[in-house]
Amino acid sequence: MITKENIEQYIDKIPPAPKVVQETVKLLQQGELVRAANVAKEDLALSSYLRNLVNKPIYGFTNEIKDIGQIFGILGVSRSLQTVYNYLLNILSPDNWEFFKLTKSNFEMFQAELSTSWSKILEYLNVEDKEIESAVTLLPASIVVCEALFKEHKKDVELIRATKDMDLNIILQRLSGYSLFDICEMIAQKWEMDLKIIKLVKASSGKEIDIEEEILEYAKWMHLLLFYILSKPHCIEAGLNDFLEFNVEFIEDIYEEFSKVMGLE
Amino acid sequence: MRAIVKNGVGMFNPQGFLDGNSAASYLSVEDIDATSKLNADMILVSLKRVVFFNRNGLDQFVKMFSKIRKTKPFTVGFCDYDKRKYDAIKKFYEKEMTFSLFKTQKIAELFSNGYNNKNKNVLIYSDDKSQRSAMAIELHDRGHNPIVAQSLQDFIEKKKQKGAYDVIIEDSYLGDMGQQVAARVTSNAVVYTVSGFLDNEISVKFNLEYHNNSLNVGFRLFIFDAFKVVSLNVHAANFFAKLASAAAEYNATICFVGLSFDKTPKAFKEELEDAGIMFFSKMDDILGNKELLADLGATNAAVIKQKRSLNKQLVSKLPKFIDAIVETIEMMTNSKAVKEKANVEKIIIMDESELLSSSIGFYGDIDGMIVLVFPKTIAKKACELLIGEETDNQDLILDSLGELVNIAGGKLKTLLTDTGVNINITLPRTYSCIDDTLEVVGDRKGVQVDLRFNHEHFIFFLTR
Repeated sequence: MITKENIEQYIDKIPPAPKVVQETVKLLQQGELVRAANVAKEDLALSSYLRNLVNKPIYGFTNEIKDIGQIFGILGVSRSLQTVYNYLLNILSPDNWEFFKLTKSNFEMFQAELSTSWSKILEYLNVEDKEIESAVTLLPASIVVCEALFKEHKKDVELIRATKDMDLNIILQRLSGYSLFDICEMIAQKWEMDLKIIKLVKASSGKEIDIEEEILEYAKWMHLLLFYILSKPHCIEAGLNDFLEFNVEFIEDIYEEFSKVMGLE
Repeated sequence: MRAIVKNGVGMFNPQGFLDGNSAASYLSVEDIDATSKLNADMILVSLKRVVFFNRNGLDQFVKMFSKIRKTKPFTVGFCDYDKRKYDAIKKFYEKEMTFSLFKTQKIAELFSNGYNNKNKNVLIYSDDKSQRSAMAIELHDRGHNPIVAQSLQDFIEKKKQKGAYDVIIEDSYLGDMGQQVAARVTSNAVVYTVSGFLDNEISVKFNLEYHNNSLNVGFRLFIFDAFKVVSLNVHAANFFAKLASAAAEYNATICFVGLSFDKTPKAFKEELEDAGIMFFSKMDDILGNKELLADLGATNAAVIKQKRSLNKQLVSKLPKFIDAIVETIEMMTNSKAVKEKANVEKIIIMDESELLSSSIGFYGDIDGMIVLVFPKTIAKKACELLIGEETDNQDLILDSLGELVNIAGGKLKTLLTDTGVNINITLPRTYSCIDDTLEVVGDRKGVQVDLRFNHEHFIFFLTR
């Protein structure tokens, strides 16, 4: 169904991050908001993406914001960086989703929900770290990878999963030796993303516990946040809820705090 | 969301957060319908991977449970939870709980009619005396040995006895139980569970088409688990007599186990014995007696009197059958299959050593059976995806082979539906010895297709 060779071909086909994006990221990492905005303006697709995203209701701005400099100014360094990474992932996402019942627009919405909730969590945890903040943008890459690899095999996957309780990650690992998060790591390396981001997203699968304590702690929050978002009706209906196994034991010790942050009953 | 059906239990596995908004998206009437067609007699929602739920969330499932119970007599409820979740559910529903709660899937399976393993020593504790009794009765009826702890102190003491119990039941609750004729396969015998007062309703509750196709697939022993039957009337007796006469055409045997004639005329027993039905007091009298099992045809099959020939309609769909099998094996092994030759003849197996096989029947717009004969190495490889590791455990491989053939059957169903042909599939049967396979199909003419996977032969045989 899916072989190691299929995965290597898939990774080969992923383009490196566009020059404008690379330059924007570099400047944002240096805290150069104005210069970063000037570079970002050169890429029409990036500018249009930023305008569309930031003016979604989830960002809560009452007036339409058009100017990229203004957008970066309001978002600040970390969230601007997060948004540019979201754009990068968006390039990889398909125009027409086949495996999951998604559209380009509700995938963007999913990205935005993750990003804003992650910022809320980091604010609660009092974390100011550009890499930790940006890491959440790589998380949906696992969904994009699933779509790309499994779209030709939707019915086969349904048949296997009607027989055995296996998530897509396990099926992929048993068939090819690679997990979804190994593939995310390869994508992140290709896009020259920070090692801390890669480590955190891999750990957020809930399967890797042999890592630094600090990363492990954030990974628990990220794992729980992912399933909080995936439990929303539109995600369940899109078939996203069970693409990965939720590890309840992994997040047990932070659940109460998470409930407070998210305002659960 | 699709349920996984195992040992008669159809299990839904939602993850994450369940509230009034999300719960309705997890489970639909269509999901339940699809599950009911997969030989489940119990439909449960696992809370293992649920971190949060509220009353509104559970209500969505409970409403669905009520709908199910109105149309089909399934046992319904929740399972796989901890003490905190159990207490929350009990608090939410208090005295209006018609659904069941099973702390683990293992506990739930004990109460399913589709569970093969009997004679489990089960320690039961509930703070509700009527629940303790209800569980003990249900477990006893299903062939287990319930031991009831009468108080919490008694339970704590009994629990300390290491290895004394196969399963310990606590934090569980029995709601309304299912009452349909459920089927399961054990020792290659089909076991039907019947209960209550049997009258002419039995002809409605009993899936005759499924039974006939099990005969056609090669099952030769059919056991009615009748421990819970109070009595039967003349209509039910006639139904079983007819069933036995029809089975005799295939040299198959029908047995009743645990049927008491305290409230049933003795004359019925004689009539049923004349029709060829055998009566036993304990399940183990049959399943524990290998010689008797062999005599009754549960290890191999007798010559079939009623042979049917291949027809044009079936042969015209041959490419779909091959596609379903080849695509399934390719999908599970990530290796290519090459078709070598196809012949219409009786099955020919050249080298009979180290082979495993499996058969599955289908019925509906077309009917027949597929037999797959694998070298053990291919069977092992094909099952690795399902098992998750290499294994030499023959029982595990045969179990997974059954699952694999089920997947192939599901694929075939999909491929045929695309061409406007609708079928249902029977439970798969597996054979560890090729002689048993030959006893079922050795005498039948069919289409044999020899395939090659990874330089090894693999036989596909389609017959009726």
